[in-house]
Amino acid sequence: MTKVILNKNKVLKNEYFFVDDLTNLTKSNSGNLIVTLSQWLDNKKTLSKKKNIGIQLNSDESLSLIEEEISFFEMIQFNFLTFKDGRPFSEAKKLRIEFQYIGEVRASGHILPDQYIFLLRCGFNSVEIESKQKKFWLECLKMGMGLYYQP
Amino acid sequence: MYQYSDKDKQIVRNRTKEFLSQVKRRIDGNLTEEEFKPLRLMNGLYLQLHAYMLRVAIPYGELSHIQLNKLAEISEKYDKGYGHFTTRQNIQFNWPKLEDVPKILNELAGVEMHAIQTSGNCIRNISCDHLAGINNEEVEDPRPWCEIIRKWSTFHPEFSYLPRKFKIAVIASETDRAAMKVHDIGLKLVKKRNQIGFEVYVGGGQGRSPFIAKKINNFVKKRDLLNYLEAILSIYNEMGRRDNIYKARIKILINELGAEKLKSLIESKFKKFADKKLLLEEDEIKKIKNYFKLPINDPIKSSIPVKKNKEYNIWLNQNVIKHKLAGYSIIMVSLKHYNQPPGDATAEQMKTLSIIAKQYSYGEIRVTHEQNLVLPHIKNSDLFSVWNKLRALKLATPNIGLITDTICCPGMDYCALATARSIPISQKISQHFKDQSIQDKIGNIKIKISGCINACGHHHVGNIGILGLDRNGEESYQISLGGSADEKTSIGKIVGPSFSEKELIKAIQTIIKTFERNKKNNEDFLSVFNRVGIDPFKKDLYDKSNP
Amino acid sequence: MAKKLKGDSFFLSANDLKTGSVVYYNGDDWSEKVYKAKKINRSEIEEHEHIAKKFEDECIIISPIFVELNDDGTIKKLRDIIRKNGTTF
Ligand code: HEM
Ligand code: SF4
Repeated sequence: MTKVILNKNKVLKNEYFFVDDLTNLTKSNSGNLIVTLSQWLDNKKTLSKKKNIGIQLNSDESLSLIEEEISFFEMIQFNFLTFKDGRPFSEAKKLRIEFQYIGEVRASGHILPDQYIFLLRCGFNSVEIESKQKKFWLECLKMGMGLYYQP
Repeated sequence: MYQYSDKDKQIVRNRTKEFLSQVKRRIDGNLTEEEFKPLRLMNGLYLQLHAYMLRVAIPYGELSHIQLNKLAEISEKYDKGYGHFTTRQNIQFNWPKLEDVPKILNELAGVEMHAIQTSGNCIRNISCDHLAGINNEEVEDPRPWCEIIRKWSTFHPEFSYLPRKFKIAVIASETDRAAMKVHDIGLKLVKKRNQIGFEVYVGGGQGRSPFIAKKINNFVKKRDLLNYLEAILSIYNEMGRRDNIYKARIKILINELGAEKLKSLIESKFKKFADKKLLLEEDEIKKIKNYFKLPINDPIKSSIPVKKNKEYNIWLNQNVIKHKLAGYSIIMVSLKHYNQPPGDATAEQMKTLSIIAKQYSYGEIRVTHEQNLVLPHIKNSDLFSVWNKLRALKLATPNIGLITDTICCPGMDYCALATARSIPISQKISQHFKDQSIQDKIGNIKIKISGCINACGHHHVGNIGILGLDRNGEESYQISLGGSADEKTSIGKIVGPSFSEKELIKAIQTIIKTFERNKKNNEDFLSVFNRVGIDPFKKDLYDKSNP
Repeated sequence: MAKKLKGDSFFLSANDLKTGSVVYYNGDDWSEKVYKAKKINRSEIEEHEHIAKKFEDECIIISPIFVELNDDGTIKKLRDIIRKNGTTF
């Protein structure tokens, strides 16, 4: 299954990559590194010396665990374990309002096109989805644009 | 009454379109049931025992005659010719086909109605006092606030995937007619130092573990209301438990954290975005309030027709209340006729009532959480004519507040979660106590019946609560006593081992006898219970040596 | 789905996806006619769970359940009787 990134209505290639073994980073990896929460917590010292790092939090992992270092990350990705777990919606809002975070906030994992507008409105800028679904995601975006009550 | 803006119309139309596409995707196999379920639930569509069930929102319980007529039409065209009014002031259709639901939603949209957020883990329809705006007691009309909250909570981007459903009620009087303290958030408009604002109650609920909401703020200013609600919901969304659905409501969070702790989290969250986007400006509030101006402004001289008709006089006494404007009355339309499932109305009843409302009540109808309807503005001089019409429809049963005015959930006759039936129980009680003089003698009493522990029939807060259980394949009913859902909200106490369906009526009779024996002067059931406690009832019910 | 099932014979029932009506598995497909329902023995439950799953995946039915039967072939539980006969009041 090929995945793509939607940034509002733009279709992009994912420029972030995960590695299983951080000690094995080679120059041949192009793009930016994204780490899981546990990779970050275990390798904070070395990782903080690098640039353009993204971090992924699962929807059941609390933002408070990286509260001190938020501005360090170029991108924060919330990985939905299930689309019913609505915590990242609040976390994204918190990033924007309480932490004034200006980097990229991305959603991945089990998310539905019907949630796209909600995600964007809570402060996400992008989603990682299956390529073949992108048309439908964009339709959902178009259909619901502007139709909401909250500022 | 509120009228849709262009934006409201567009939003509802859009949602209908969106749901049509979701239904298509489901039927084509592009959505699994697991994915479809939360989407259909957010559009009020359940699956029950025999069929789907569609729950349509009646925001804060207010209907126009046009809307009521449409509900009647829908029930005829897509259902079996009746609807069921619920304890959260909604209406349910019990037999729609999945394929028809988008069409129903389309028809509803045509009369400014929808089924949005009547189910699912989101903020549900806002409950309100059914006498809002027409009683003398309130500090101001709570309905505009319900509408303000309705807008804010509809398709809220952050709060559409909460740990669990979330229910809000708004009242504005000392008397609580909306069961405010068994809601996740209860708001009470109060006047303090010449300013009007909100007392905020959090963490009430029924279900398998009932809780009375705790007051967490004595006064939230009107302008801050939405920011304050947003703070509560953000904390709940983040911290509410998602590991166990029975522990997911905010009532559990407040009890695990303690009210003080939760309050301080909410307050500090609130400070972070107070003064921000959701601040309510005076003219915005005023704009909404304008929609809710009463259709009548001044008292008139109009007196109640005097007739020698006994039935009419009993009805006047039992089902008619004073309007805040002299010369008008409020009619409580009983949906508890002795053979009718509580809260059910037939298409014919709804249609004719719609005509009555148009002709006599400025086109307005309301729904109460006790599953009755209200004609809010009736000229006194019209009372006899209206009574005659209601009576012909079996809508003038003079039992409001009496023993046969039971609250009752659908139970096992419809509901897939039920452990026992509830409608036949309420019908037996009605049959047994239907004699008017017996009902009058017993006086005010609230019997509330649920077909399982989820407590949709409010049994925890019934003066007599009846909970249907399954004991090794047999229906069995647990009785609790002393519950109440008004301003002195209390949770009933379980009286003892449960009764079989056959024994149940006898047990209710015994309870009534115990009450009557202990009654002083004009005391009602709850006062007697609060004075003598549960023991005399226990003794009479279970002590076999007792005659 | 088969958890906690008692008894020895069953019907396989469900709701029709499009209409919501109560339907019974009759050996090939699903029908509202209970007299056509196929009697399933305890030993065949697992097999019929797969069958139900297949029809669920094909978007024909939802919410499949096994209906417990008495020795004489009648339906045992009140809930299932109500599903078959309709409301009781
Ligand atoms: C027939 C389909 C229905 C289903 C599947 C259903 C499901 C549930 C469930 C699971 C709960 C427990 C929620 C919890 O504890 O978290 C509940 C509570 C409740 N339901 Fe229903 N219900 C149905 C019909 C109704 C009807 C007909 C009414 C009104 C007459 C109603 C009003 C309520 C109320 C007032 C509560 C308790 C308030 C609370 O959640 O704290 N429901 N329902
Ligand atoms: S109380 Fe139980 S039986 Fe009654 S409607 Fe609610 S879930 Fe169904």
